[in-house]
Amino acid sequence: MAEAFSLYTGQESLIHKLHPLTKLTLAAFMLVGSLALPGPWPTYILFIAVLVPLALLARVFPRLLSLAWRVVLPFAISVFLIQGFLWPGGTPLVAIGPLSLKREGLLFAVTSVGRILMVVTSFLWFALTTRPDLLMTSLVQRGLPSNLAYIIVATIQIIPRFQQRASTILDAQRARGLETGGNLLQRARGVLPLVVPLILSSLVDVEERALAVEARAFSHPGKKTSFIEIAESGWEPLLRWVVIIAIAALIGLSIWLRTL
Amino acid sequence: MYPGARLPALRDISLDIPEGQFYAVVGPNQAGKSTLAYAMAGYIPHFYRGRLEGKVTVAGLDTRATPLHELVLTAGLIFQNPFNQISGTKFTVREEIAFGLENLGMPRGEMRTRVDETMELVGINHLADRSPLALSGGEMQRVAIASILAMKPKVLILDEPTSQLDPIGSREVFSAVRSLISSEKMTVVMIEHKLEWVAVFADYVIAMVDGQILANGSPSSVLTLDTLQMAGAGQTRYTRAARRARDLGSWPDQHELPVTLEEAEEAFRRLKTGA
Repeated sequence: MAEAFSLYTGQESLIHKLHPLTKLTLAAFMLVGSLALPGPWPTYILFIAVLVPLALLARVFPRLLSLAWRVVLPFAISVFLIQGFLWPGGTPLVAIGPLSLKREGLLFAVTSVGRILMVVTSFLWFALTTRPDLLMTSLVQRGLPSNLAYIIVATIQIIPRFQQRASTILDAQRARGLETGGNLLQRARGVLPLVVPLILSSLVDVEERALAVEARAFSHPGKKTSFIEIAESGWEPLLRWVVIIAIAALIGLSIWLRTL
Repeated sequence: MYPGARLPALRDISLDIPEGQFYAVVGPNQAGKSTLAYAMAGYIPHFYRGRLEGKVTVAGLDTRATPLHELVLTAGLIFQNPFNQISGTKFTVREEIAFGLENLGMPRGEMRTRVDETMELVGINHLADRSPLALSGGEMQRVAIASILAMKPKVLILDEPTSQLDPIGSREVFSAVRSLISSEKMTVVMIEHKLEWVAVFADYVIAMVDGQILANGSPSSVLTLDTLQMAGAGQTRYTRAARRARDLGSWPDQHELPVTLEEAEEAFRRLKTGA
């Protein structure tokens, strides 16, 4: 049977024990910091001084890196090549035939790579340390409509089921002689017999699922409660406010620097 | 009558189900069994649009006049596919069972007690911390039943709850349901094709054919009806053996046809001794 689709690793650590919203504000801080600070280097300082320690503390650093480089590396290579060589004007550093590596282009590439690195790793850090259901519960407690929360969490959890069903249909259609290999045209022809049963069977499921959720009084008016209690240390709300103020300060700083 | 349908799914239904009894509904496909279940649980007319003539009352509530979120507290509905009944948002069975109670806004402490009681009742204590998505069909179906029972409905309606289960899973579901009737005085209506189980566990059997009720009575009187077998609802293997014997002339016409293993044993023994 399919397990839940989530990056959450379920380890024990100081970070894992934090309230989801505390982790959300910390991730937002890293994200805003990397985008708001000017120049190429502050994002790397933020990465080394904030994200790496937080990831080490959560004991997810190796896993985080192994996931992050797959996204960041191809991006970095293409940005360095394209911006480095194709920057209009600028100071040439090295010339290779008709192309030359530009100083301004390289600086721009370093800045963009730093930003994408921070965006990816701060998201991964959050996803690796936070249970999606706890996040949603805490957001519902803060006023997020519960229908919306249900849709988000159920979608995340249903993905593996969907993949499983897609592969069952694929096997079934292959057993009936469907060609799934070959050239592009043959493959394109094979898509329809896969997609149609997948969508139709999912629609049937949706009806039954809607009935079943209804059977659990989902449309009951009034306030819902939560079975799981989200543990929180006394100092966490304070930390959250400090981080929120820091985020606001970063945004203010960035606007001020731009108007100078 | 469903939207787009030419004929009503149910006709001339008049049925009275007393409290605390186990009713099984049997009949061939397209006989209107599920429609009957949906009408009793209030999904008709609240969920499925269409035309409903006449009146359905569950524990004194008129299903037409009562909103669905109140009806579900009186009549809980269990479906065929156990997977589709799992909310899909919970990480453990315990949390899954609490889902309905959360929706009702029950305080956490009360919810804990209720969830523990319900797991005990259905015999799934050992599953409490497992992921509801990683269970066998029978386990998942019992979690689905527990999730509904946690809300303490007076009536439990099950629409072919064992059709996707193996024999062990089916047995688990049947005995869980039977013990609810004895310990909780619940009223149960179960649509079921596995007639051997129905014969053993149900108090009464309602046979449906073509949107109408063909018969309503004890398992041994309804399940042996020639008309039911001819309508395509099947028969228990014990009844079939006896019927075959009757066709061959070795079963006296005045002897009743058996529906359970015990009855069959008894009847064949009498046949042998010539009583």
